[in-house]
Amino acid sequence: MSEQTGNAHVTAVGFSVFYGAQEAVKAVDLGIPSGEVTAIIGPSGCGKSTFLRAVNRMNDLIPGCRAAGKLMFDGEDVYGGNIDVAMLRRRVGMVFQKPNPFPKSIYDNVAYGPRLHGVTKRAALDEIVEASLHGAALWDEVKDRLAKNALGLSGGQAQRLCLARALAVKPEILLMDEPTSALDPKSTARIEELIVNLRGQYTIAIVTHNMQQAARVSDKTAFFYEGVLVEFAPTSDLFTHPKEKRTEDYITGRFG
Amino acid sequence: MKRRKIVDWVFSGGAYCAVAVMVAFLVLVIGPVFVKGVGAYVFRGTVENRRMMLEQFGRGDSVAVLAEWAEVRRARQPVYDALRAFEREMDEMPSARRKELRAAFKEVKEGVAELLGPEPGTPLPALTRRIYGQTRWDRAKVKRAHILFEEQWDYSGGDGVRVLVPRAPMFEGTALALVFAVLEKDLEGLLRPRLRFYPQFLTDRSIDAHFFGGIGAEVAGTVYLALGAMLIAVPFGIVAAVYFQEYARGGPVLSFLRSCVNTLAGVPSVVFGLFGLAFFINTMHVSRGKSVLAGALTLALLVLPTVIRASEEAIAAVPRTYKEAALSLGAGQWRTILTVILPAALPGILTGIVISMGRAAGETAPIIFTAAVSVGPLVGLGDVLSHPTPALSWNLYNMCTEHEAADEIRHVQYGMALTLVMIVLALNLAAIFLRARVTRRLKG
Amino acid sequence: MRFAREQIVLTAGERRRRRAAAWAGRAVLFAVTSVAALAVLAIIFFIARDALPFFRQCGVVRFFASNAWYPTHEPPQFGALAIFCGSLIVTVTAVVIAVPPGILAAVCMSDLLPFGARQVLKPTIEMLAAIPSVVYGFFALVVLAPLMQDRLGVSSGVNALTASVILAVMALPTIVSVSEDALQASGRELREGSYAVGATRAETLVRVVIPASVSGIFSAVLLGVMRALGETMVVWMASGNAAQIPKPFFNLFAPVRTLTATIAGDMGEADQMTGSAHYHVLFAMGLSLLFFSFLCNVAGEWIVARQRRRMRGG
Repeated sequence: MSEQTGNAHVTAVGFSVFYGAQEAVKAVDLGIPSGEVTAIIGPSGCGKSTFLRAVNRMNDLIPGCRAAGKLMFDGEDVYGGNIDVAMLRRRVGMVFQKPNPFPKSIYDNVAYGPRLHGVTKRAALDEIVEASLHGAALWDEVKDRLAKNALGLSGGQAQRLCLARALAVKPEILLMDEPTSALDPKSTARIEELIVNLRGQYTIAIVTHNMQQAARVSDKTAFFYEGVLVEFAPTSDLFTHPKEKRTEDYITGRFG
Repeated sequence: MKRRKIVDWVFSGGAYCAVAVMVAFLVLVIGPVFVKGVGAYVFRGTVENRRMMLEQFGRGDSVAVLAEWAEVRRARQPVYDALRAFEREMDEMPSARRKELRAAFKEVKEGVAELLGPEPGTPLPALTRRIYGQTRWDRAKVKRAHILFEEQWDYSGGDGVRVLVPRAPMFEGTALALVFAVLEKDLEGLLRPRLRFYPQFLTDRSIDAHFFGGIGAEVAGTVYLALGAMLIAVPFGIVAAVYFQEYARGGPVLSFLRSCVNTLAGVPSVVFGLFGLAFFINTMHVSRGKSVLAGALTLALLVLPTVIRASEEAIAAVPRTYKEAALSLGAGQWRTILTVILPAALPGILTGIVISMGRAAGETAPIIFTAAVSVGPLVGLGDVLSHPTPALSWNLYNMCTEHEAADEIRHVQYGMALTLVMIVLALNLAAIFLRARVTRRLKG
Repeated sequence: MRFAREQIVLTAGERRRRRAAAWAGRAVLFAVTSVAALAVLAIIFFIARDALPFFRQCGVVRFFASNAWYPTHEPPQFGALAIFCGSLIVTVTAVVIAVPPGILAAVCMSDLLPFGARQVLKPTIEMLAAIPSVVYGFFALVVLAPLMQDRLGVSSGVNALTASVILAVMALPTIVSVSEDALQASGRELREGSYAVGATRAETLVRVVIPASVSGIFSAVLLGVMRALGETMVVWMASGNAAQIPKPFFNLFAPVRTLTATIAGDMGEADQMTGSAHYHVLFAMGLSLLFFSFLCNVAGEWIVARQRRRMRGG
């Protein structure tokens, strides 16, 4: 919690999320630094995903879910009453646990977001689609079958397509909710490689329960336990010299 | 132990039998409809059929038909000659003998007119059905039997038993004997039966209350009603399904609306007909009297619960992750529903629509008071808002119960039944294929 | 390439506009849904509205208790007891004929036949349930009735039994399909538990599986009842349409007349005399039909609810 850097892109101040009466995220103070990769780790049910999904308000889908405290993005409270949620989500992209391409063509998957936000010219769309697929290192594999249904892609390709789809709306922040948990090791490695490449262009927050992954790709790591942010530190520090006993127990595999 | 095994065996056997009996029942019902229904499309047509087709529909090679007709007329001439010769003979008979034969001769003469058509040269009858002889070989053989045999009832055993008494012996030695001999031996020569494929049965207009021609007007009516019903029911059904699945937040209002839909599903079909009459026609005055529009509205109500349920199931089956992905890209709820959820649910929704359409096409009771007429011309697309129409289901009923010569046009009735069944089965088959595709796609 | 807007904060005006739009959209959806759902209330209302004049004019008691159905006499008499009896006889007989083989066939499909056979049989049965009733009626009238007349020596081939048999055949697919779903839903563990203590297949099915699925089977039977009671064309074409109570009442070879057939048959004559007592009495019959099917519905929902309660434990 000491690492409140000046260039935080998203800042949580005493931020809590409730499912009904149950408090899933408890008064978290956290600044996700701009342009860096932040990993969020912790055992299942520790609130790490809930926290991540709060940033683009995906928790709104869950009935009975509400938030308290402040979660600041671009100088505004994300949970403020006057927020344009759609615009927020445009600027905060997300990649989900399981690859979830739409049952449309590869092209239409990537073009879906830009179309939503008013890009209709074919040339402009073509440009965005190609750039996004390049960004997700998928272009060479699919450039000859852009009109084919995306459901025919392999798991790893599908996940990279989802990443391209998220990149196509030019977000500032990328939220990744265990993006490799449904993938094989080879595909996982490619996604990790991508994350490293995207570092600097985007602010990335990645939830993972794979500690090696966090160590490989992130600059900073936050450890959540039972809804509480236990420790937030540069990744190398957290994994080598954890300050908290619970962090140490977790990363040495004593629970989780 | 032994007894338990026997019981087990008997029970299993009974269960297999039940399935077998069910399948047998269904085959028994559908079998005749299929076998005889095909007879409306493929049958042995006589020269009369070819003449009728030429004169009424302008179909066929006129030179060939006229040449054949000339040959047949020559072959028939002896029959007509014999009839006239016998009439002269009768004039010279003793009155007792004449009285004895007169009634029978009258039946023979009328029978010949029905079988072969009116004698050439005599004035043409008013009814089209009497202008031609028997156009179908199967009907021709039935008519021949009416001439050759007299139907009598034998009450000697208590209950009446039908006996067929040949007429020929009665006329032994008269000029009429020739008629019996020719009809028995050379009916082919008089009628020239030939295999005829008649796919136009589906689209032809009917002539003289379905004696000749096809069922075009009925098919069109059924298509109008089924399509019209879906046109009305589908938007309501999909909107309601979207509301129930995506918008409703529970509570007493929702559960009330739901039980309303369930109750609607249980309303007997004839009550829909009554409602259509009382509401759409007598209260809303959507048309003066019955019309395709009123019928389609009534049928739409009937299929609405099915459409709602099928659409709801299809929407519920769309993975939540699609919705999440769309929202995470900044789509609003409307856009998510329109661009992601409904397209993904479309095959499932279509399945429900197709099944409902089959139901709407086959229903009779709701259209009796709202849309259907027994006889009528093909309704043009411009008249659907105001005109009633014949329809397959209603006319099938009407033709086998109220047609003045229901027995003579069984083949048309079977043809209608087959056509109706085929329409419904084709729609259901399409639904099964659609469903299989959905399942395959959801699997990956 | 930039997008039109970047601000995540809405101005007050924009916010009000969006709220109004969302509310309006919701309201439209709700309105359309309500129209669809409340149609059933409209049906009840309009049937009742046209039935009431009859009850006011001719009295309720005579309608339900009298046997004299002479709608075209002068003065007309509208005693519908025989017609109610006709509906009852035909429905009960059809259900009695259809239920035992229906349940046995469902058992066979869910527990005895190999998976492949079931995959074929199930859609086939669903397709047969879709065959229009007028085709069944046509079959009854043109094939079955003459057959009965010739072979069984009954005076008329169109009678209560013919109608019931055909209704039973029509109701079978529904009963089989729904019962089979119920039997499937009871699960494999249940069967394994019974086999594990040495029960034979028949014992397992009769003592364990069927009792466990009894509410689903009962729903299937109720659906069969509703189908038989509400069916029009088959009974109109095959029941003989004589408004009399058979003597004795179990004489199934007697012709009977049902509510649905009376409505369908008489409305054709009554439509020129909209507003006459004959017109209104048919709505009274429609109202009675609605009432019965509503009862069946309530019973069905009650069974489902009770089952859900029991499953939840208790």
